[in-house]
Parts: sequence; structure tokens; C-alpha cells
Amino acid sequence: MRKSFFFFIALVVFSNVVLCNTNGLYSFSEEEKLFKPIANIEIATAEGEISLSDLYDKSPIILVLVFTRCTGICSPLLSNVKENIRQQQTNEKYKVLVLSFDSSDSISGMLQLAKRYNLDEDKQWIFATTDRIEALNASVGFNPVWDSTSQQFDHEALVVGVNGNGYIVKKLNGLRASSDFRSLIKEINSEFVLSYPLPRKNMLFSCFTYDPATGKKKISVGMLVMLLPVVLTLLVVAGLATIKRKPNE
Amino acid sequence: MASLSLKKITAVWIYTILILFVLAILMGITMRFTQGKTISVSPIEFYLLMTTHGVTMIGIWAAAGIVAVNYLLARYIKVSTSLNVFALVFTVISILMLWASTFIGKFHAGWTFLYPLPFHIAWETWATPMFLWSLMVLSVSWFIWTLGSMVQILKKYSLRQSFAIQHISKKSPSVETPPLVLISMVSLLGMVVCFIAAIILLALLLAEYYSAGKFVNDPLLIKNLTFFFGHTIANEALYLGLATLYELLPEVSGRPKFKTTWYVALGWNCAIIFILGAFFHHLYMDFVQPKGFQIFGQIASYFATIPSVVVTIISIVTLLYNNKIKWSLVNLLFFIGLMGWIIGGIGAVIDATISNNIILHNTLWVPAHFHTYNVMGNVLFSLAFFVWVANEFSDNNDLQKYNKLVMPLLMVGGFGFVLMFYWAGAYSVPRRFAMYPSELSSGTALASAAAWFACIYLVGVLLVLFDVLKKCAKVFSSSSH
Repeated sequence: MRKSFFFFIALVVFSNVVLCNTNGLYSFSEEEKLFKPIANIEIATAEGEISLSDLYDKSPIILVLVFTRCTGICSPLLSNVKENIRQQQTNEKYKVLVLSFDSSDSISGMLQLAKRYNLDEDKQWIFATTDRIEALNASVGFNPVWDSTSQQFDHEALVVGVNGNGYIVKKLNGLRASSDFRSLIKEINSEFVLSYPLPRKNMLFSCFTYDPATGKKKISVGMLVMLLPVVLTLLVVAGLATIKRKPNE
Repeated sequence: MASLSLKKITAVWIYTILILFVLAILMGITMRFTQGKTISVSPIEFYLLMTTHGVTMIGIWAAAGIVAVNYLLARYIKVSTSLNVFALVFTVISILMLWASTFIGKFHAGWTFLYPLPFHIAWETWATPMFLWSLMVLSVSWFIWTLGSMVQILKKYSLRQSFAIQHISKKSPSVETPPLVLISMVSLLGMVVCFIAAIILLALLLAEYYSAGKFVNDPLLIKNLTFFFGHTIANEALYLGLATLYELLPEVSGRPKFKTTWYVALGWNCAIIFILGAFFHHLYMDFVQPKGFQIFGQIASYFATIPSVVVTIISIVTLLYNNKIKWSLVNLLFFIGLMGWIIGGIGAVIDATISNNIILHNTLWVPAHFHTYNVMGNVLFSLAFFVWVANEFSDNNDLQKYNKLVMPLLMVGGFGFVLMFYWAGAYSVPRRFAMYPSELSSGTALASAAAWFACIYLVGVLLVLFDVLKKCAKVFSSSSH
């Protein structure tokens, strides 16, 4: 009985560890690898082989990771990026690099993709492939998983902002609004962007709670902690008021 | 009257404060000469000097204020000497811990140790907890010290009387509260609040440090608590200096003592609330801070200054105008200190106005105003007390011949030093730069000039220090009460 109990506990602990690790794979964290350098890999473009540093040395990059056979999020992601970039009326210089993370993709396939989105003539957009995608994926914290049943990659819709020094300064996960792209462009151009960490489970005294469903924030327990010094002092003063006086001392 | 034991512990405090003051000035001069490219220290050394200089200066002048009012309160109440000894022992321990964390451990996150900087270890790993524990030791021991001082007052005066409430409601109350008791009580209460804020802040930071990532803090909460503590202690220290001014200035000027009037009582009671709310002006750039706090920060900054400044100016003008004054080093230090406090206060109010803060935030205007009301305000109030008490210890009011140079040296050096800060601030030279790039060459020239002015100020301080320390030594050979 006791052995079974311990076995059960061990099983629960083990399965939690495994589950935690799997969760880590799909963390969708926008903070992972932030302010770390991107792998300076060689990429194949319509104009030949270049290294990533050849691009970011000239201007910052918005990196979009897709693959041509994708039947899922890649198309909506590209449309979303294209539409949002079109809406930005800024003077900042940057390039949009659409890179395939599927090693079976060819540069001709990527150029066809560009044509499909009417981006083949746009000098701001570069469509490319690479032989060193693992190195790039590891450097940006992108973890696509091949699903042999669907013959598709299971992956998130990731856009990565790389500044002129080759550092990852912002990541956008999912289909995002124009304002997020505005921040992304400012960030890669080293302009000041307001940011604030979201409340987390291990942040016990957060000043706000945030509901991702409604996008609303509410004042929370952290604000009460700010009042604590005053409240405690009032209690101390109330205690002091009871001191026996010796007026003639 | 002060007992011999109180005199001795006050003398030890004066020794400690003045020696630390000279060392902290030397750190400041080193920093300004480095910015002026006259000498060269590494950025790490610059920032560890900045950290040590900031905490030490705030600490010693807050201590000086409490020591001074404790000594003077002995005229009205029974003051606990053992409480002063307790505070001194723990202050020395915390300073040794602090200096170890910076000079040995190379901790250099600045005196505001803004979260999460202390956890981005760029120094010895033990230096972060050592720095935080040094402040914890200081906060807890000073909380007990200030609370104990309040208890001493409340053993004679009721809570209502200690805050002079009876002066607001009645023209001639049966019990009169001396201004020293009122201002000390207001300031000590503020200090109790800020030490509680410091203890909560440090407990949260230490909890995060020891939890190894299981617990993290909210940056907004930590920044609010940091300035609740930091801003408040700097201001309350100044008000303790004013308490000594109210007590001693008429006395050394040969004028009748100040009495608490309805407007003095009202002004200082109003100051309690506004001083505690003024720290919000440090968070104007924090866009997540609720807008109401930002507006309250500006209003509180205005009203924290106005009652105390207006009431004090009216009191001092009444004292000085058309009256024959016996000028000495003590009342000159008080008077010039008052000017420095007002000038620094105006600089502070300008910076605390949201529309100005957008431009002045993080420029040298900020150190300009707080150095003005400290270097040329609070420090002079405390030096005035030190000179006065040293004269009392030695029964000798004679000044050394060279002491005629003290005021010119302090004024030229002090005002010249802060003027360089204001000038640089007006040119938008940023603060907290170890070295200025070529685009900010005006910052380099002004820093060098500021360092030379600080040297002049230091000579003035050393003249006071030699005289005061020599006279204070006599209290140890004295056996009478």
C-alpha cells in the first residue's frame, strides 16, 4: 500500500515535470531571448547569398518566420504584417525579412509567395531561405514541431524585431494590432517605447490585474501595500495616544 | 537640561557625522572631477562612489537632525541617552555593511537602487543582500529611535498638545507647545512612516532575492515604496533642521523665543499630509501610475513647501526686521541655510510641475535642487547646531581667527557648486553619466568647475570641523552635569 502510494506520488511529480517541460516548448513568451543577439546566419535571397548582418548593419529588421506549405497561421500572419506595415506612415528605415523555417523550401518557392502577396517588387521586403534555420530558431526562441500526421509544422505566429546591432529588441506573438507594429518599429530604431511587465502568478503584490479577454486592467493589492506604511503609522499613533503622561517631569 | 551622558553621546554623534561628511564630500568631488575629465576613475568606481555618497549623505544629515532635536528637546522633556547609544551602534554597523557592499563588493546600483537593478548582478553576488541588509538594519534601528523619541515627547505632552492642536482652536491655550516640540513631532512622525515604508520595501526585495525566482515584485510598487522612503526621509531631515532653527536662532540672536501661534500650528500640521504625498512627483515618467496620483503629486509638492516656507519666512522676518541682531557664525549659518532651503525649494517646485518635469527629468536640474537644500540648507542648519553645542560644551564662544573665512568659503563654494548643476540642468545635461560624450561638452566643463567650487566648500567645512571637534573633545574630560 505504502509502495503504491509513493509510486503514485512519484508518477504525479514526474508527469508534472514532463508537462512543465512541454509547456515550456509552447511558452509563447515574448520575453525569451529578448536583448540577445540573433544568429548571424547566411540566407539565400533573390539577389544571392548574404549574411544577416549585411542586412541589419544597413537598417533594422522585422523578421517574419513562415513556410510555403503552411495551411495554418502563415497566410493570416503575412497578411497581418503586410497590412500593418502598410498602415505605418513613418520615416524610420527598416526591412521586412520573410524567412522560411522549412528546410525543404526553395528560394523560388519563397519568391512565388512574395508574388502572391504583391510584395515581389517592394524593395522593403526580402523573402529568403537558409540552411542554418536551427541556429536562427535557437537564437530567437522559436520552436516549430513537425507533425507527421498533418505534414505541417506546429508553430506560433512569430514576428521578431532586430535592431541595427543585431539584437532582438521586441517579439510579437500572434496576429497583432497596428499599434503593436508601431512600437516594434520604434523599438528596432532605438526609440523610447513604454513597457510594463504583465502581472504573473509569482507577482503576489501586483499593482494591477489584467484581463486578456477584455484588455482591461484593474487596481489590485499592490496599491494597498503602498498605503500600508500610513495605516501602520496610524495604528502606532493610536497606541502612542494611550501613553501615561507625566506633565511635570 | 541635557545630562552629561547626553552631551557625550551627542559629541560622539557629531564626530561620526562630520568625519563621514568629509569622506562623502571627497567622493562627490572625485565624481565631479571625473565627469570634468580632470581625473579618471572607471565607470564602476564612479557608480559605487555615487551609491555610497548618496546613501551616506542622506543618512548622516537625517541622523544630524534627530541628534540635534534630541539634544534640544532635553530642555522640555526627559530624553533617553540609551536610545541614542542604541541608534549610534546600529548606524555604525549599517554603515560598515553598506561601505563593504560598495567598496569591497562593488555594488553600484545607485542610492535609489531602483528595481530591478540590484538583481542584475554586476558585482560580487553577496553585495546585493549586504546592501539591502545594511539598509534594513538602519531602517529598523532608526524606526525604534524615532518612535522612542516620540514616546519621550508623549510622556509629557498629550498627542493633541504635541501637535499643538490647542493653538489652532484657542488663542491662549493653557498648555503651550514649543515650536521645537511641534516641528520635531511632525518630522518624527513622517520619519516613522518612511521607515515603515523602507522596512516593507526591503522585506519585499530580500524576499525576491532569497526566493530565487519564485516570488517577483511589481516594479511600480517598488518604485513607489522607494521614493515614499527616499523622498520623505530627505525632506523630514530638513524639517528637523528647521526645528533647531526655530529653537536656537532667536536665542543666539538675542531675541525672545519663538512662540507657537495658530498659523505656525496649522502650517506644520498641514505639512504632515502633503510631505507624505509629495514623493509621487518622482513617478511622473511612469505611465502606468494612476493619473490621480500624478496630479496629487504635483498638488502635494506645492502644498508641502508652502505652509512650512511661508510660516518660517514670516517668523524669521518678524525676528530680524528692524531689530538689532547679534550676528555670529551660528545665526549666520542658520540664516544662509534658510536662503539655501528656499532657493532649493523653488528649484524643487519647478521640477515637481509636470509640464516642466517632462524637460527637466533626469537632467542635472534634479541634483541641483536637492544639493541646494542640503548643501546650502540642511547641512548649514546642522553645522549651526554643531557650532552652538560645541561652544556650550567648551563654555567658549570665541571663534578662531580663521573662522571669519568660514561663511565666505561656504557661500562661494556651496552656491558656486550648485550653480554649476543648475546651469548644466538648464542645458539639459543628463544626470548619472560617469563621462559626458562630446555632444555634452558643456557638462564636462561645468563638472570641473563644480568640483573646484566643492573644494572651496570643503575648506570651509574643515575649518568648522576642526573648531567643533576640538571643543567637543572637552565634554569627555568634563565631570559636571
